[in-house]
Amino acid sequence: MALLVGAVAYDPKVVTIWEGLRDYFRAAGVPIDFALFSNYERQIDELLAGHVDVAWNTPLAHVRVKQGSGGKSLSLGMRDSDRDFRAKIVARKDAGLRAVAELAGRKLAVGSRDSTQARILPLHFLKREGVDLARVELVPFDSDLGKHGDTGRSELEVLAAVADGRAEAGCVGDLVWVSEQAAGRVDPSRVEVLWTTPPFDHCMFDALPSLDAGAAEAFRRALYAMSWDDPRHRRILELEGLKQWLPPREEGYQSLREALADLGG
Amino acid sequence: MPERLAALAVDCGNLPVSGGLLAIVRPALERLAPGGVLALTSTARSVAEDLPAWCRVERHDYRGAEPLPDGRTRHLVARGPLGVARVLDGAGDGDGVDDGDGKMPERADPSSGFAPRGARVEPGGPAYPFTLVERARVAPPEAAQLYQQALAAQWDAARDIAWSAIAPLPPALDRAVGQVMTFLAENELSALYVPSRFVARLHPAYVEVAQFLSSQLGDESRHIDAFLRRARAAGGLGVSSATTSRSLLSLLELDDFTEASFLLSVLGEGTFLDLLRFLERHAPDEPTADLARRARADEARHVHFGVAHVRHALAHDPTLYARLEAAVARRAATLSGSAGVPAPIQDALTILAARGDDPPSVARGHEAFRELLADMHDGRIKRLLTAGFTLAQATRISDLHTPNFM
Repeated sequence: MALLVGAVAYDPKVVTIWEGLRDYFRAAGVPIDFALFSNYERQIDELLAGHVDVAWNTPLAHVRVKQGSGGKSLSLGMRDSDRDFRAKIVARKDAGLRAVAELAGRKLAVGSRDSTQARILPLHFLKREGVDLARVELVPFDSDLGKHGDTGRSELEVLAAVADGRAEAGCVGDLVWVSEQAAGRVDPSRVEVLWTTPPFDHCMFDALPSLDAGAAEAFRRALYAMSWDDPRHRRILELEGLKQWLPPREEGYQSLREALADLGG
Repeated sequence: MPERLAALAVDCGNLPVSGGLLAIVRPALERLAPGGVLALTSTARSVAEDLPAWCRVERHDYRGAEPLPDGRTRHLVARGPLGVARVLDGAGDGDGVDDGDGKMPERADPSSGFAPRGARVEPGGPAYPFTLVERARVAPPEAAQLYQQALAAQWDAARDIAWSAIAPLPPALDRAVGQVMTFLAENELSALYVPSRFVARLHPAYVEVAQFLSSQLGDESRHIDAFLRRARAAGGLGVSSATTSRSLLSLLELDDFTEASFLLSVLGEGTFLDLLRFLERHAPDEPTADLARRARADEARHVHFGVAHVRHALAHDPTLYARLEAAVARRAATLSGSAGVPAPIQDALTILAARGDDPPSVARGHEAFRELLADMHDGRIKRLLTAGFTLAQATRISDLHTPNFM
């Protein structure tokens, strides 16, 4: 019986990715099928209820699954790009900001409230740096709620708000920041980076402890065997935003657990 | 290809990552071997924030920064292991002509796509549906040279033939000219279509072969144009016979490039060399002789390529002798029952050589036609021997050749 993997359909390309992964896993002798959800909350519920075997989760969903399974859930693998993720505080050059401490009294654009990289963690880290968030005027972009920031739309809205002056600074993940810079879509005369947060980890394949050990191992083995330089795998990896699948690690989610505890969740 | 470097230093001035720094950093990293270290000096403060993030995303290893006495900062980046573009396996170690772009590979990798031979190819690209990917079966060493010859030998059917010097001939002779030109144009149409089927299957590592074939297609197009002009000047087109049509269909249906090259170029166009020489000798006027001479020079190049192709393939695969002979026999079987050279062309060639239709002249014309058939047979034997066949094989193959000449 094929393993059923849950994923959230945050973009039409998700179908292409999972059709490709399904074919790849099948050819690798590990038959899988997939179920697409419209939001991570439902996917978390269905995994915890045992209706799907594996779920491809955002960091927020990963931490929720850990909590919901009493810390017993299995972590099967993550993208290279999920490790040491950082958020950037970018600022308008004409705002004259020299340090994050000076954000008090300024407008700070932030992404969706369920986006780890564009809202939850940058604010958590700013607070840890001693920034009094009560004195910062947040300009929120709550787009695509339920997708946990996957679409990147709220981050692009943050960048646009900073570029056109609706905010003096903004929070974005480094992936979006780097891609926008590398593609030549950032005007360096207007916007530059002010601060980089400490690293944290991002997405994870989660499963319940009831998953057959052999099946879990077969899933991991097939996943890690995908290669960036192999034309048959390349397109899927490009679409999914990684170059290599890596084994899981848990320490990269500590800051998010703390941030959620701090928010009362 | 230059060797990849272990270390490299670049100065990026005050460029930010979003303001042009990558245009220096990316090409520099491309010159490094995986693990090689780039030392990048910069005065831009933001680089310390943005360069590590870029390295993380691109899987390069950001090794840290140190201040220099002059106030600049030196960042160290070790090149990551992924996406290292390289000249694909084999492209460069073949025994073909090396024109500076690397030698033709023994076997071409379909995932290099349309990347020109000698370019460094980033791994992970899609596989292309090229099926002609073995040098031994596809690319004789003469291909590039023959292509250059073809370029130098182009002519213009409208401009280079003295069409205005053509005067009306006696009706029987004009009808014969119209028939011969119709036959030539029909056969040249097949010589336009048959090679074109293989161009898109050829791996671009053997681009010289595609280029030569494209010149061949251009030649055939020009010949068709010129032969039809001559037919019209003679009062109109003649008959297309069922034998000719059947013979040409059996060429068009070939799926193997070497078999097609053998049947079309070595045997068919080879036989046409003798036909065109006959036409030149018996042409009723100088423009027609000129036309035949020019077409024959082009056809000789196609035959040269066909013989080189087949000889090269035979040298690498001795089982090919039997396969090519079998292909000739199969084709002969589909044409069996055809009673010799199609009547319309046989009669037209006879009248042409007779220069009229009075019985004594026709007797001479018929004798000339019979000599033509013997010349064609001898010519085929000679070309088959050049291609590498034994006399016995060559004789059997020539005897089985289509009565349609092509």
